[in-house]
Amino acid sequence: MKIIELNRSVTESNDRDADALRAKMKEKGVLMFNLMSSPGSGKTTLLSRVIRDMKDNTRIGVMEADIASDVDAIRIEEMGAKAIQAHTDGMCHMDAGMTERAFDALGDEQLDIVFLENVGNLICPAEFDTGAGKNIMILSVPEGDDKPLKYPLMFETSDALIITKMDTLSYFDFDLELCRERVRALNPDIRIFPVSAVTGEGMEDFENWIRECKKEW
Amino acid sequence: MNKREIDILDVKSDVIADNDREAGKVRKYMREKKVFLVNLMASPGAGKTTTLVRTINALKDKYRIGVMEADVDSDVDAATVQAAGAKVIQLHTGGSCHMDANMTFRGIEQLGMEDIDVLFLENIGNLVCPAEFDVGAAKRVAILSVPEGDDKPLKYPLMFQVCDLLMIGKIDVKPVFNFDEEACRKYVRELNPTMPVIPVSAKTGEGFDAWIDWLTKEIEAFRAAEV
Repeated sequence: MKIIELNRSVTESNDRDADALRAKMKEKGVLMFNLMSSPGSGKTTLLSRVIRDMKDNTRIGVMEADIASDVDAIRIEEMGAKAIQAHTDGMCHMDAGMTERAFDALGDEQLDIVFLENVGNLICPAEFDTGAGKNIMILSVPEGDDKPLKYPLMFETSDALIITKMDTLSYFDFDLELCRERVRALNPDIRIFPVSAVTGEGMEDFENWIRECKKEW
Repeated sequence: MNKREIDILDVKSDVIADNDREAGKVRKYMREKKVFLVNLMASPGAGKTTTLVRTINALKDKYRIGVMEADVDSDVDAATVQAAGAKVIQLHTGGSCHMDANMTFRGIEQLGMEDIDVLFLENIGNLVCPAEFDVGAAKRVAILSVPEGDDKPLKYPLMFQVCDLLMIGKIDVKPVFNFDEEACRKYVRELNPTMPVIPVSAKTGEGFDAWIDWLTKEIEAFRAAEV
């Protein structure tokens, strides 16, 4: 009982912080995307491709959240985006307060969009609003088409679902249509983009959606 | 460091200390009941259930197998595992991202240990939180699947430190992915020098002899220690 109350009060105070951060970003004209997925579903590879395709016309910043290590931030910086590594020190998700500190450290004046690469986890990040303008979830083909049944909250809270590693579809029993049905049952309005960051398949539609979101922000 | 962070840390260390005490009770109970408990952990979609099904098939003539399927929601895995011939219970964590010792004990009581020799806990798909919570298992086993990438030990070190064995799963698709097995083994060794690492494919059966060998030896050692 006590644990439930503690959890609720943490979430409520986080929601207030998230709204404040969202308002601050809107004022500065920066749109933040919160990227969430399992470990190893291809967040960094997808981001690298988006940066390569969009960096000539869009000023992009990336906040890499990890429990430890800085392997991702190094990769992202090499692609030409402004990057910062946030260490959560054991925490399994980013909350709004941690995100704001990372955002302030990144320095926002010259940026159009910012990506937060959340900790690889399908559960806890779904419960914590980071203050992002849009939530993006990534599901990779090797993980299987049953994940919407097992981690429903993540699919419910996302604005877009990117199905990655589409180039490996023939090696796995992944039913794309069945997956779409399961996702739509949880979230009828979610946009679904099947892509391969390796071959580039489907990337243009996803990047056009990013541009539309930025225009509307 | 602001005050709030310090508060959170204090709460967390209390939670872990409480859990460690509970885990000790579970371990003692399982020793009395002579049931070998394995805590199986991995990312979502790494192949825990497929691996478990193949493992049940390899062991079920020799041991009576039980499985506790922990999920945030749904019961798709429990049905699959039951069909393989194990005694199964589905545990819903109700949003919680890991199993703790107390939840595990409730699962054990509900399932009943009188007709089980080997019990598997299929933990929630998550590389972070389950590593912090000892459930009272005799052995902890992790699966890292090839499509996840060879850099995972760098990013989720605790999971690789606390486990007794690591399977590299989905090894049959290695040619399709950029997975450097030697680099992965090196990262793992740095975190946990003595842990056995076994590449397996639950689809083709590759590597299963080595995994079943290790498991059988551990089960027999556990059972022998009781007399």
